[in-house]
Amino acid sequence: MDVEALRERFVGVDFDTAEFRVDPDDALAFAQACGETDPRYTDSSHPEYQAPPTFTASFVSRRTMPESFPQEGFRRAFDGGKCVVIHAPVPIGARLTATSSIAEVFRKTGRSGGMTFIVHRMEFRNDAGELLTTVDWRMVARDEV
Amino acid sequence: MILDLHNHSIKSDDGRARVESYCQWIRKKELPLDGFVLTEHRQFDADSDYGALEDEFGLRILKGSEVETEYGHVLVFGVNEDLLRAFDFTRIDLPLETVVSESRRCGAVAVPCHPGRPNVGLCAHYDARGPAEGVRIIEVASGGSRAGEDEAARKLADEHGYQGVGGSDAHIVSHIGRCATRFPRPVRDEADLVAALQEGGFEVARWT
Repeated sequence: MDVEALRERFVGVDFDTAEFRVDPDDALAFAQACGETDPRYTDSSHPEYQAPPTFTASFVSRRTMPESFPQEGFRRAFDGGKCVVIHAPVPIGARLTATSSIAEVFRKTGRSGGMTFIVHRMEFRNDAGELLTTVDWRMVARDEV
Repeated sequence: MILDLHNHSIKSDDGRARVESYCQWIRKKELPLDGFVLTEHRQFDADSDYGALEDEFGLRILKGSEVETEYGHVLVFGVNEDLLRAFDFTRIDLPLETVVSESRRCGAVAVPCHPGRPNVGLCAHYDARGPAEGVRIIEVASGGSRAGEDEAARKLADEHGYQGVGGSDAHIVSHIGRCATRFPRPVRDEADLVAALQEGGFEVARWT
């Protein structure tokens, strides 16, 4: 697997755009599932009522990889976790547009051997084009032995 | 002086701890550390300045790196511009002997870490490839070790006459200070740390 070539070809190139709506019921259920007690996320009468901080991580783009991304070695990739950066509050009911790109491809070694990490980035913007959140989703593929 | 030589902050891809949080934890838990070294994976963080945190918490905060070789992971202390030019820190297949010899040439010190750990530790690779030239110090106590791994590291050190250091390999706040290294002299900066490692006389400090 030529990580340098993958990086050069795919990193930073947008490959998907999707629209989402911040559904009030979904946002509240997410907050409750997270154990949120802050009324900003649980009380619709609160003046700063908004989606919980990591809510946009629950949205899934139409594609997880660019169409031409090689499948070899990634068929058994697993979830390596998500990282959410909050730039601004996500209003309940808002329409969001998310663009997907590959933010990074890198290799590392661990107890189980070599691994390749692919970081799928979704950037969520409101109708004014303001960046509200960035969600980095790490996909991990172990080297096949 | 007691320093925890092996820790990762959020600068590492798998690090979940902010440096300030490490400082707060050390003071809140009254850990007997005088400082710690940040050894971010496959990189050297030349930009961050932790001087204000050092002053606020009375801790020494030094910077190194953890690189990856065919013999497993290796801590590098005293990273400088010459060493950054000597090999590509981002690679996972660096030749250990290059890392060791180039570190020495550039005034740094390379220390294979968690030697008892499968795949990324020296022990398994010594069995397969034989000993590497130039290694003088290894991490014989790691906060991330599982049962038997530190014992394997200590055995390797005894067999080859290596000196041993300790480091937590912390990736989350509560793991800092699980083990460390006690130096017989003050360590004010990275150059002092290199000198202290070259001089010897240090020992593993472990209290948990």
